[in-house]
Amino acid sequence: MYKFLVFSLYLLSVLCAQGQEFRIRGSVKDATTAAGIPEVRVQLTGTSIETTTDASGSFELTGELAAGDYNLSFSASGYFSLQLPVTLNPGSSIELDYIPLEIDLAEANQNLTLISLSDLQLNNEEQRDDILSPLLSATNDAFGNAAAFDFSSTFFRPRGLDSQYSSVLINGIKLNKLSTGRPQWSNWGGLNDVMRNREFTPGIAPGDYSFSGPAGTLHFDMNATALGRGGRVSYAQANRSYTGRIMASYNSGLSQNGWAYSILASRRFGNEGYIEGTLYDANSFFAAVEKQLSEKHSLNLTAIYTPNRRGRSTALTQEVLDLKGNQYNPNWGYQDGKIRNARLREIDEPLVILSHHWKFSSRNTLTSSVAYQWGKTSNSRIDNTGSTLFKTENGTETFLGGARNPAPNYYQNLPGYFLRFPNPTAANYQNAYLAREAFVEDGQLDWGALYHANRVASETGLNAVYAIQNDVNQDRMLQIASILNIDLSQKLKLTARLSATRLKSENYAELDDLMGGSIWLDIDSFAEDDATTGGDLAQSDLQNRNRLVEEGDRYKYNYNILASELQAFLQLQATLKRIDAYAAIELQQTRYQREGFYENGYYPGKRSLGKSNAVAFFTPSGKAGLTYKFSGKHFALLNAGLLTQPLPYNTVFTNARQNNDILDEASAEQITNLDLSYIYRSPSLKLRLTGYLVDFKQGSELSFFYTGSLQSPQIEQGNALVQEITTGINRRNLGAEFGLEFKALPTLTFKAVAAYGNYQYTSDPQVYYTTTLAQQPVVFGEGNVKLKNYHVAGGPEQAYQLGFDYRDPDFWWLGASFNRFADAYIDVSYLRRSGAFSTDFDGLPFNDYDCAQARVLLQQEKISPYNLVNLVGGKSWRVKDYTIGFFGLVNNLLNMSYKTGAFEDSRVGDYRSLLEESRRELPLFGNRYFTGYGTTFYVNVYARF
Amino acid sequence: MKPIFYQLITLLAFTACVETEFEVPEPNENEIVPEGTAVSIASVLSNLAQSSEPVISYRDTDAYITGYVTSSDVAGNFFRELIIQDAPENPVTGITLQLNQNALYTVYEPGRKVYVKLDGLAVAKENGVVQLGIRDGNGITEIPASLIPKTVFRSTEVAELIPLPVTIANFSPELENLYISLEDAQFNRREVLGESPKTFAGEATDEFDGIRLLETCEPRGTTLVSTSTFAKFKSVALPEGRGSISGILSRDFYDDFYILRINTVEALSFSSTNRCDPAELQCGLAETEGGTVIFKDNFQTQTRNTSITGNGWTNFIEYGTQAWEAYTATGTNASQGISARIDSYQSGNPLSVGWLITPPIDLTSYSEVRIRFETSSSFADNSELDALFSTDWDGTLDGITQATWVVLGDAFVIRDQDFFGDWYSSGIVKLSCASGDTGYVAFKYTGSSAEASDGTYQLDNISITAD
Repeated sequence: MYKFLVFSLYLLSVLCAQGQEFRIRGSVKDATTAAGIPEVRVQLTGTSIETTTDASGSFELTGELAAGDYNLSFSASGYFSLQLPVTLNPGSSIELDYIPLEIDLAEANQNLTLISLSDLQLNNEEQRDDILSPLLSATNDAFGNAAAFDFSSTFFRPRGLDSQYSSVLINGIKLNKLSTGRPQWSNWGGLNDVMRNREFTPGIAPGDYSFSGPAGTLHFDMNATALGRGGRVSYAQANRSYTGRIMASYNSGLSQNGWAYSILASRRFGNEGYIEGTLYDANSFFAAVEKQLSEKHSLNLTAIYTPNRRGRSTALTQEVLDLKGNQYNPNWGYQDGKIRNARLREIDEPLVILSHHWKFSSRNTLTSSVAYQWGKTSNSRIDNTGSTLFKTENGTETFLGGARNPAPNYYQNLPGYFLRFPNPTAANYQNAYLAREAFVEDGQLDWGALYHANRVASETGLNAVYAIQNDVNQDRMLQIASILNIDLSQKLKLTARLSATRLKSENYAELDDLMGGSIWLDIDSFAEDDATTGGDLAQSDLQNRNRLVEEGDRYKYNYNILASELQAFLQLQATLKRIDAYAAIELQQTRYQREGFYENGYYPGKRSLGKSNAVAFFTPSGKAGLTYKFSGKHFALLNAGLLTQPLPYNTVFTNARQNNDILDEASAEQITNLDLSYIYRSPSLKLRLTGYLVDFKQGSELSFFYTGSLQSPQIEQGNALVQEITTGINRRNLGAEFGLEFKALPTLTFKAVAAYGNYQYTSDPQVYYTTTLAQQPVVFGEGNVKLKNYHVAGGPEQAYQLGFDYRDPDFWWLGASFNRFADAYIDVSYLRRSGAFSTDFDGLPFNDYDCAQARVLLQQEKISPYNLVNLVGGKSWRVKDYTIGFFGLVNNLLNMSYKTGAFEDSRVGDYRSLLEESRRELPLFGNRYFTGYGTTFYVNVYARF
Repeated sequence: MKPIFYQLITLLAFTACVETEFEVPEPNENEIVPEGTAVSIASVLSNLAQSSEPVISYRDTDAYITGYVTSSDVAGNFFRELIIQDAPENPVTGITLQLNQNALYTVYEPGRKVYVKLDGLAVAKENGVVQLGIRDGNGITEIPASLIPKTVFRSTEVAELIPLPVTIANFSPELENLYISLEDAQFNRREVLGESPKTFAGEATDEFDGIRLLETCEPRGTTLVSTSTFAKFKSVALPEGRGSISGILSRDFYDDFYILRINTVEALSFSSTNRCDPAELQCGLAETEGGTVIFKDNFQTQTRNTSITGNGWTNFIEYGTQAWEAYTATGTNASQGISARIDSYQSGNPLSVGWLITPPIDLTSYSEVRIRFETSSSFADNSELDALFSTDWDGTLDGITQATWVVLGDAFVIRDQDFFGDWYSSGIVKLSCASGDTGYVAFKYTGSSAEASDGTYQLDNISITAD
């Protein structure tokens, strides 16, 4: 149909080539019902010539234009957009009697996924911002839709890939954070209305904007002219992360004098979401203005400002989940009768992009953008280490104060702690009972006690004991990028991108709230100073010993990361009769350097102060692929790529808060990506089957934790706050994806989706530990961590969906899906699989070490399978010039309680302690689980004009 | 643009406000005085003392005690315990509360008046002092955190604590759990005057607690300062000077001796540099005994339960009624056959001083003269045994106190914290650097019938040798 249409347009345009003016007339119809569609925006892209269809779906476009190739675009809410290439000659008159627009059920779904986009992340203190699903909302296949919408609430990751293997671009600017390599989703949260223009490149397929990595690339076009004329206001209510959202947007479309603008404002709010105490306070503002300077040049300025603040929750042990349920959040307590969450995350990073579009011929464009992003991200928490300096008569410094972790779910508050003995006494049971009662009854932060402690401290001449600490990171990012798209011939297309990024990232702790206390002493109260160090170890900054800080001051740590990234990308695409083929390369140079401003007491001199050595990565990547077209309905697709990816800088600097240390053998990760797909498309059946292999080599990881299992000749007792540095991680993600859409009736579509994968480690990587308690890195045995054949925690390895969508011609629709997830593995503790597991304090194995027992203790937990049923539906009405509608959804209709992920607590990492733990009914440091929401709803009402 | 857009923008400004800013809350000054019967801490102690049971539980009672907090865990030297006494000044009785909570100083700071409801609690003597907690078998355990707010109530009163001035000789069970002060105190010279002065509890040999010898100059006395190895000031060097110290009088873990526990190093004010150390003879230690035996005695020829006589010994009572005597004992605290001992238990003596002096030692005929002996003790506490040396004693009883006696600085004499059942060697102590022709070694006991000072010292296997 489509091909025929193009052909006829082409013919028409050639036949009617007379005169100075042109005229295009036509009628837009619903592809299913053949009814005329009113209010369809018809535009000659790149020009100011546009109109909308009348009540019967008819339109007429007239004007004067230079002869040439143009695109005629049709867009209407609820329908797929359609682009028709037309060739205009002077005097052309084109008649298009039947322009079919396909109903786009996905639009509603897309709305939903964009809504859920920033819902899922940020909720947890462990920062589950590695999710990928929002990326897929731009796909139009059954698998992509399922992954984006129905699978997203479970942290299902397509192909088991972390979001650091994806890219997000806005107007050609790549916005992945250099610190993590991941996109910061909340930086464009609440902008749904202006994010409809997006293009997703799945996996390593060829992209129009950049070299796409294994997890794909999402590009948003937020230029003012790209956003169809009209306005939209909406209000949404939900009980997931926010309770309300209000949004208004207006796009002017291109005016006669060549201007276009677009604005949006929205607010999302809630005192708590599904999880208790998770406040949501987000405002979003967007403005874009574009000026068509000439037919070939236009300038666009886009500005985004989305300050948001969220209260976080945390992963919980089974003991806590059993007592308090999956809505429990220990991070909050009442103050003045209001909920106060101690762990807030605030992101405030405005972005401005200035772009120049140069259409130097009808199909060839050069887009150059310069972007500046600045602002800060801060994470708050309670600091319970407030100390006071006391000097003895001979001048020796000692520090008083400090207090226990006030977290209500601190392990010493839980029943299990009182039953930790092999044979608990009656008093132990009584204490456990009382602890249980107290925890079940209250179990929240006691803000009053913290304020009282500070008041008492202040009255007894001590500094504040408790405070709120913000971990702040303040970035200034400048990026210049140019994207060139050239049709070298009818069959050959070239895409190239060059970009340069500079980042200056300030990182420091900020004393946010002294909570009624007088002042704060900036020292590390855990430091074990003795006569030889005389209080030096404890110093955050030896240049300012025993500094007293007030609210708003920086303290604890203060350093900059200077980073730069240069990228060059070149891609050639050939379109032949039977075969489409492409090849692409990318060269990237990345450089990081740390500059310390505090001379840390543990690491005096250059080890912490001043500039570190620079770390540079040169990472070339290449890929190629082809599509074989058996017929118009059958395709086979093959992609193959060899990629290298630099480490993000938060892995390179192993203890950036305290020193200039750099990861030993910092090497880029090597990725081999192979995928093969079969695609079948007919009007009634769409089917895709893909097999993939993504092989990772030389990966690195860095984590921080407190453990009691680092017993070694260097640290006899084994208690230490450590940095765990793991290098040479090899793993392989192997699997298949299947998606099917069957249109049983013009109004009824059935869906079936399946994902089956296997994500396993394929090597025993190297691991070492650093801590302030040991001068040299602590290495156990040969320094291996026995990971081979363990599963990588990457969400469920199996996911299935059966569902249907019904679209009534009378503007209402309904969808339902049944989803099943299985084979999610929990994140294993590397420490438990390292030599530390079997090593006693003297470096020799425990004398009671039993291999068979050890194997049992180290078994990887698999999360139980679960089923989720989701419902979605909506209706819309036409009232004069307005479209008014609503849609709603219910997630997890059956209120299934389920876990989405988990990790082992490395606090306990040695054989003996783990054996002891395994014998306890209630382990002290059990696995910690992320849980899914119960039944939740989301309702949105909107009006378009 | 449609006006509805503007209306919506306006609406945005009014939509639900999310609370994220908080003011410092006003302190609640309403104190809760438990309803019920006020009883004294002393009555709790006497309940226990009068009972034949090791633990007394309080059930279905409305009684509560009132006290003032004296301990502080601000520096980590107290852990999950709160010590209270009946008055901020001139206290009579104190008691320890076992509480399952850290950072108690942020709630119950020193000087804070508190009410403790007794219902559900139990009292017992643990680690030598009377404590309140929750009954656990035949002992007690910590009051769980969830019960603390329902058990220990704060008054709004925070009093200024005045430590009770005492002398070491007056230490008695009545003073346990009280906030006391000692004047004119200093750490023993062996603790602080060496090449590197010892720290409160940061030595490699310190396990759980660092125990340091403290002495007072006038009146003379010795006791121990015990500091947890979890104390934040454990690595602070002991002050060399002399002055006053305040802390809580307690007993060591095994209830063998008195200890003083301080809240922070502020408890010490040792600003005077004028120490009161005795003169010492320090010639060092030898590796082996000499081949020539000048004098040797293991008391096997003495008669049990009579004073040591003969074999050249001078047995002299300077004060009181107690003399060195021969004895035998078996069991944990066994003698070595017949040994010598002296005590002041139930002697009725306000002061007991007894000397046992060796025969004269010819320091000119012999070269490299050295002495070795063994000591043991029981309930030594504030009673003292000194190993002394003189070269100007004229050999008469009257001349003993007139002669110049210096302390044999290198000789090890059993300390309070050493195990009472063992015999400790003095080491082979050289006397060769003494100037003089004739020397004497004296074992001088100082004690009294006061409970803190009525301990026993045992002595045996004296051998004086030379090359």
